[in-house]
Amino acid sequence: MKNISRRDFLKLSTNSLLALSGILGIGGLIRYLSYQFDPTPPSEFDIGSAYDYPIHSRTVVAHIPAIVIHDEDGFHAISLTCSHLGCAVEERNFGFECPCHSSRYDPNGAVLKGPSTANLRKFRVAEAEDGNLHVFTT
Amino acid sequence: MAPTSKHKNYRARRQLLLAICIAIFLLMVNLLVPLRAQASSQIQSTSTPTAQPTPTFDLQRLEKPVIASNNSEQLKKGAEIYWGVCMACHGDIGQGLTDEWRDAFGTEDRNCWQSGCHGPDHPPQGFLIPKDKVIPAVAGSSKLTRFNNAQELHDFILANMPWWDPGQLTDEKAWQVTSYILSLHKVMPKAFDLTDTNASAIRTQYAVPQPSDDRPAVLTLTGILALAAIGMIAQDLRKNKNRVAERPNFFHHLHPPTIPALQARFRYTLGAGGLAVFLCLILLVTGILEMFYYIPTPEHAAVSVEVITSLVPFGALTRNLHFWSAQALMIVVSIHLLRVVLTGAYARHRRLNYLIGLGMLVLILLLDFTGYVLRWDEGIRWALIVGTNLLKTIPWVGDWLYRLAVGGPEPALSSVERFYTWHIFVLTLTMIILGAWHIFRVRRDGGVAVPPPDQRKDNARLSRFDLVRREVLVMVIAGVFLLFISVFFPAPLERPITQATVDMGVNAHNARAPWFFLWVQQLLKLGDPFFWGVALPVILLIVLAILPYTLPQTNENELGRWFPRGNRLAQIIVILITLAVIILTIIFLIPTTQL
Repeated sequence: MKNISRRDFLKLSTNSLLALSGILGIGGLIRYLSYQFDPTPPSEFDIGSAYDYPIHSRTVVAHIPAIVIHDEDGFHAISLTCSHLGCAVEERNFGFECPCHSSRYDPNGAVLKGPSTANLRKFRVAEAEDGNLHVFTT
Repeated sequence: MAPTSKHKNYRARRQLLLAICIAIFLLMVNLLVPLRAQASSQIQSTSTPTAQPTPTFDLQRLEKPVIASNNSEQLKKGAEIYWGVCMACHGDIGQGLTDEWRDAFGTEDRNCWQSGCHGPDHPPQGFLIPKDKVIPAVAGSSKLTRFNNAQELHDFILANMPWWDPGQLTDEKAWQVTSYILSLHKVMPKAFDLTDTNASAIRTQYAVPQPSDDRPAVLTLTGILALAAIGMIAQDLRKNKNRVAERPNFFHHLHPPTIPALQARFRYTLGAGGLAVFLCLILLVTGILEMFYYIPTPEHAAVSVEVITSLVPFGALTRNLHFWSAQALMIVVSIHLLRVVLTGAYARHRRLNYLIGLGMLVLILLLDFTGYVLRWDEGIRWALIVGTNLLKTIPWVGDWLYRLAVGGPEPALSSVERFYTWHIFVLTLTMIILGAWHIFRVRRDGGVAVPPPDQRKDNARLSRFDLVRREVLVMVIAGVFLLFISVFFPAPLERPITQATVDMGVNAHNARAPWFFLWVQQLLKLGDPFFWGVALPVILLIVLAILPYTLPQTNENELGRWFPRGNRLAQIIVILITLAVIILTIIFLIPTTQL
């Protein structure tokens, strides 16, 4: 430390100050660009009267997207969003297939074939007081 | 000297005259075509019967569907369906079930909801019309207000009509009926076939200006340019060696006075760098033109692309030129990169410029992807979701990168604006800066790589006049080619992303990435998205970037030749990468059997 000349010391401190202001500026830019104006997507969907989903039915609700199943255990739903990279899977006779990278799932959403490694998510379905079904995606 | 300069003057004047003639002719072509279309549309509009309800109902107007002979097939078929099915309730001129219209049925059937077919005790083939239900008019001022455009009207008709048996219409028939109803409503352009990819541009509350077919004008322009190219080649063939010294103009001054002839051999450079500059210029001009009509919001983006493509005069040409130039640029810069490696031209002091070039390749990929997303139609939805979800898979910074690119928790309101800003400003500006630097470095590094003067076999030099002439010739030929493709091969477009398409799950069939990313899509089928979709492409890029810094390079005397001995290893690596990319793309394109 002793053998730094006054000139070098000044130069070093000036440059560090410039670098610091640059880093602060980049930090500000990051915060500026990270602001989220859009609302968070809904996590609860009203999908209409329970009577529209009779027992032993499997109904695709495209805008969630999910498939609503009514069986002996009651109502439940499987997400149709592929757990690999988020495309909407399509129904096949073996279950579901993703059109983007060909992941396959059985009718209960369990992985049959990669690249996907996680099963399709299960959504909770509850009947509200007015008789409508609500799907909860969280 | 005097006679020569006089001769030259004369020639210059003749050329000027010719240029003026061509300009006048072009202007005439451009002006005449729309004028003619307008004139004929006026005649049509007066000749189609604009029957107003008359006090005493003229039954003759119901005898057969009103079909003008110059209408499109779609409209004619729509007229037949309307006449046979819709007319009874909605009226022959779309007036709805008015008293005046019911008078036309004769006294027995006048009270629809009481008579045999539509009363409470209707026979099996009949149906009940409730008295309290108003059967709406489908044409006339301040009608159809619940629909913004032909697409919404079509979707409604498809889902809800005919009233007693909804869902029996096919998509095609729904378009035909939509077309006829909009012509009753007097907002349907003449000779215009409605489809999923133009109907959002046709409004229900006002008539858009009649679009005209501008392909003849474009083909004329293409032909004139092609003739000019032939003329330029002919001029070059009878080259005058002792040409009178011309005075260099601005464009000549952008070039050095002379360059070694070795640097300008087409079979060495393939003209790829120059062509890339030309394509970038076309992209810049057509992109700016598109900005005049493009609206970067989720509701309007795809609609405004439809307006550009199917209504704006020369809009389809502008968009097609932008699209095809972008595709061509992708190919041309890939060839340029291959050429540079396979001739070992990146050696020594040129390696910085090689890195700048690689940076531009990345920018072009990003520009292509963001530009593709700006269509905001059903065709881009999964590519957008996959592309942005890939960002999320990056450890530590993934979520932040995702928000930076998308501007929200999922692709929505802010995303179009984000992609618009990335595409037209941030990436374009960076591209312009890197491009200028790249071209400057080419000059600073001594032009295209050739051996030093004492080791050249040929020390001939090419003047800037010849160089500029060659460049212009290549530009004209490329221009003709692009115009021709743009006339006959429209850029892809699908129906806009709307709440309706999301609810219906319309888009599932189209899960394909843009063609230059198909190899990544194929890789992603192998497993972990971060490794195959992000890490591997980045590793490939790093391998390309360190080629000049790690592997042996060519000797100076070997420059200016294909496949020099010095950098064989680098050549092999680049050829292997290229083959892998091509093979992966082909594997993706081979149709797989469905279970």
